[in-house]
Parts: sequence; C-alpha cells; structure tokens
Amino acid sequence: MSPPLRRAPPPLDFDAIERRERDARRSSWSALGVCALISLFWLAPFYYLAVTVFKTTEEYTRSDPFAPPRSLAPIVDNAITAWNEATMAFGMANSAFYGAVGAGLAVVFAAMAAFGLTRLDYRGKNFLFMIVFSGTIFPFQMYLIPLFFMYGRLGILNTHVGMLLFYTAICIPFPTLVLKNFMSALSREIDEAARMEGAGEFTVFARIVLPNAIGPMTATFLLQFTWIWNDLLFSTVLGNRAEVRSIMNSLQVFQGSYASTGPNVVLTAALIASLPSIALFFLLRRHFMDGLKVSGL
Amino acid sequence: MRETDESLLARIDLRAVERRERARRRRQRRIALVFLAPALILVVGVLLVPVAINVYLSFMNWRKFTGIDQFAGLANYADLGASPYFYDALANTAIWVAASLLCPILIGLALALLFRGVRFEETFKNIVFLPRILAPTAVAVLWYYVYAPHGMLNRVAGFVTGRTIDVGWLYDQATVTPAIIVTFVWQTVGLVMVLLLLGLNAIPKDPIEAARIDGATPWDAFRHIVFPLLTPTLLVVTILCVLAGFTVFDLLWVMGAGYPGLRTLSLAIFMYFEAFQKGGWSFGSATAVVIGLVVLSVTWLQAWLQHRVERTLK
Repeated sequence: MSPPLRRAPPPLDFDAIERRERDARRSSWSALGVCALISLFWLAPFYYLAVTVFKTTEEYTRSDPFAPPRSLAPIVDNAITAWNEATMAFGMANSAFYGAVGAGLAVVFAAMAAFGLTRLDYRGKNFLFMIVFSGTIFPFQMYLIPLFFMYGRLGILNTHVGMLLFYTAICIPFPTLVLKNFMSALSREIDEAARMEGAGEFTVFARIVLPNAIGPMTATFLLQFTWIWNDLLFSTVLGNRAEVRSIMNSLQVFQGSYASTGPNVVLTAALIASLPSIALFFLLRRHFMDGLKVSGL
Repeated sequence: MRETDESLLARIDLRAVERRERARRRRQRRIALVFLAPALILVVGVLLVPVAINVYLSFMNWRKFTGIDQFAGLANYADLGASPYFYDALANTAIWVAASLLCPILIGLALALLFRGVRFEETFKNIVFLPRILAPTAVAVLWYYVYAPHGMLNRVAGFVTGRTIDVGWLYDQATVTPAIIVTFVWQTVGLVMVLLLLGLNAIPKDPIEAARIDGATPWDAFRHIVFPLLTPTLLVVTILCVLAGFTVFDLLWVMGAGYPGLRTLSLAIFMYFEAFQKGGWSFGSATAVVIGLVVLSVTWLQAWLQHRVERTLK
C-alpha cells in the first residue's frame, strides 16, 4: 500500500548528531543560567523585604541589608508599631469595605446592565452600551477636580459614602463589557422557555442568567477588588481623613511623614497592606488568570 | 389542506401582528432600562458629568472666595503654554511614555522568548510575575528603601566594589528617572510577558519549522513569521504600556517626593499640584483636558491600527 522508497536514507552521521546535541545541551544550560540570574534580580527586593521585617531598627542600621535577621521576634513589635502609627486599623477596614461592597455592587449592576443589553429585544442597545462603556476611556485626572467640588457641595467629601460611590461607579464599565460578551454567547432558549412558563424578566435574570455567569463575575470582581485595594489617587483626593483613608493612602502618608520609625517598620506596614491581595491571588489564581485573559485581549 | 392554510393566512391581521410586536419591544425596552438604570445613573452621574464639568471649568476664570467668575475662553490654556513647569512636566511625561513603552515590551518579549522551553519555565515566569501582585504603592515604598542612601542598592554596590557608596538615587536629578523606571519595569514586565506568551502560544509551530528546514535563521523566522502574527497582541500591550506610563501617579508620588531638578514632575503630578495644592482649579482643569486629549487620541489611534491590522491579517 505504501509508496515504495525511491532513495535509501543517507547514512547517519553520528558525530554530527552528537555535536548538535552537545551544542543544544550547552545552550540550554547557559539559557538556564541567564534565567536564574534574571530571577535573582527579580527576587532580590523580596528577599530584602523578607529579612528587613524581622529586624529591629537598631539591628537594621547596624547590619548589612542582606544579612539574615538574628531572630524572628522583632516582627511582632514592628507590626504593632506600624499598625498603630499608620492607623492601619482604619485603612484595612476601609479598604476591605470599599473593595468588597464597591466591587460587589459594581459587578451586580454590571450584570444587570449586561442582561438588559443582551437578553431583551429593542432598538438603541448599542447607544446605551456606549454610554456605560465611555466610563473607561477618560483618564482619571479628568474626574478629580469636578468630583472634589461636587462632593464638597453635597457634603460627602472625605466620607465613606462618597468614596464608595466613586469606587462603585468606576468599577462598572469594564465588567459590563466582559459580562455583555459572555451573556450574548449564552443560549437564549432557556430564557424563552422560562418566559413561556410565565417567569418575569427578573426571575429569568436571577434564576437563569446569573447562576450561569458566576465564573466571569468572580473573575471581574477580583480584578476590581484589587484595583480598589491598590488605589492611591482617589483616596488622596476624595477621602483624605484618617477615618476614611484607604490602606494605600495610610501607607503613603505613613511613609512620607518622616516619622522616627525606621525602614523596618515602614516595610512591615507595606507588607501588611499587601497581604490581602497576595492571599487572594494565591487562593484564587485560576480566576485571576481568567481575569487577566479577559482584561488583556 | 392547502386551501385551509391559505385561508388561515388570509385571516391573520398583519397589522395587528406588527402592532403587538412593537408593543412587545416597547415593553422590553422599559424593562431593559430598569435593568440598566443603576449602571447608567452611576456612570453618567459620577463619571461623565464630571468630565463635562472639567471641560467647562477649563474655559472659566476662577477667583478665590467667589468661585467661578466668568468665561475666560482659552486663557487657561494660554497660561498653561506660558508656564515653564508645564514644559518640564510635558518633557518628563514624554520620557516616561517612551521608557514605559520600550522597556517593558522589549524586556517582556526577550523574557518570553528566553523562558520558552527552558527547564523550570513555570517557576521563572511566576517569579517575574510576582511583583504584579503587590500594590504599586507598596512597591514604591519597598524600592524607596532599596534606593535610600543607606539602602540595599548602595550596600550591594559597596560590597561589590569594596568602597563605601552612598548615592541618593532618588535625590539626584541624573538618576531619579532611570531608577523609578527600573522599578516600573520590575513591576510591569510580568504582565507584559504573560500577555505576549498568550500571543506567542497562539502562533502555529509548523510554518516556523518549515522555514527553519528551508534554511531560515531563527531571526528570519521571528521577523517574517512570528512578528507579523504577534502584531495584534503587541498593539494591545503597547497601548496598555503607553497609557500606564502617561498617567503614572503612585510610583512618582511616593518615590519622587524630593523632586530633584523637577524630574519627577509628570503631567499627572503637575495637575495635582496646581489644583489641590495651589488652588488653581481652572488651570488644573485645563491640564486635565490636555491629558484627556492625549489619552483619547492614543485610544483612537489604537482602534484605527487594530482595525487595519485585523483587515490585513484577513
């Protein structure tokens, strides 16, 4: 069945094969070395952070920054000092509140909007979508001054309500885009069946579409939560009071205050401030990678 | 049988059907508006109305105590053009955009190509991605102490050279910008690399191998096969980097607080100072409008380029 061989294969040059394999192996070893060096550069600041938070201020100033700490105990004092001096209790609670409630509301509102944009028949959908999505195209600098004055006029400057209002609004457009794309790909037959059975639109939304969209909703919620947790700019402008400050604002104020505390304490504060987003990342890596894919491309 | 069908059809009132259909759509639009209401109200009220007010403010005179005074035309923009700090901010921002465009993409691409197929590939990728999970403010604080006169970098340099080195990396106008850019690259390259790897992995291997068998060098294969297919991804990453570099705030705000030679004065920081520290609200609004115009044109350029690239790929 198979076609006959026209030519005998050339005799194998074993020396050449061995030479090529040796070259490949050597280049893979050198590539590995280069990769290791690069990782070293990336890890060095983390190592510096890790050893510094276990040192007392006195130990930090006298020892080499790379020297391992003498004992692990000082981190307790560092954490207590940082927690008190940087008013981190407020910062952590505020940011958790803004992140959880703000991003949560935003994703629910975005899911409702996406439902209204994909599962119903009427004209002018595109226009309504453009209005919501236009919330992503302006740079943040264009919101600052008017919001500052509007908030002042409404009496919500430097309040939790004002901060939550802004964070919710800014986190709506992007999840709307993602959930709209997701919901328009979902089959509409089940909706129609439920409507035939007499279900109202709200039931269709809450009982059929929402449970199906939990995956992308979680992914976008995590992205938006992290954004709110990491935000410094808007807390600086709209919520600059110790009781209202976000955690990043607390950290920046603490670092910039030229307090008598040493780098070991400030870096402990930076580590504590980062812990929630680090924990979330490792707990929910898969969702983060999903979020990355939807946000990047 | 046929006849009954036709007589049935004849009896259907087409206009009534159309009317019912229209009523159904109207009802659906009403329901849709209820579903869209929270999103629309928040986006319009908290985001779009402020943008409009910002544009309005930039054309008005602002007096202390009395507030908005009268129409000023382009006077605020003229003041902006006359302010020497504005040009400093513009030049610094241009440097930032160029650096935050070139460095992360070139390094990200190099790392993506280097890590592919190497042993412990996943570990290396995770290590480079790791800084991404820290908040920019925390990164800025960490690197502030890396660069401090008695910080990590000087100690390492001193250890290597055997001399005492106490350069204030963030307080010298020659070193402050490169120093902060290194921090920026350290944090952003992981994301750029992951996005580029997603693009690279979507490229089929067969044409590359075919070209290699036909005698193409790896560089030829990259330039003529990989690069054109990677263009859409590169475009997205480019725009992400440009916008990130253009509006960077956290890193400069924390690390550049010494303002050596005004090198850390970007447009975003300039706007913050003029408005919130000096009370030049109209002036600040005009700066924000300039920032907005640049960002919108970059976004528009991206949409246009993407459209063209997609058409040529098809």
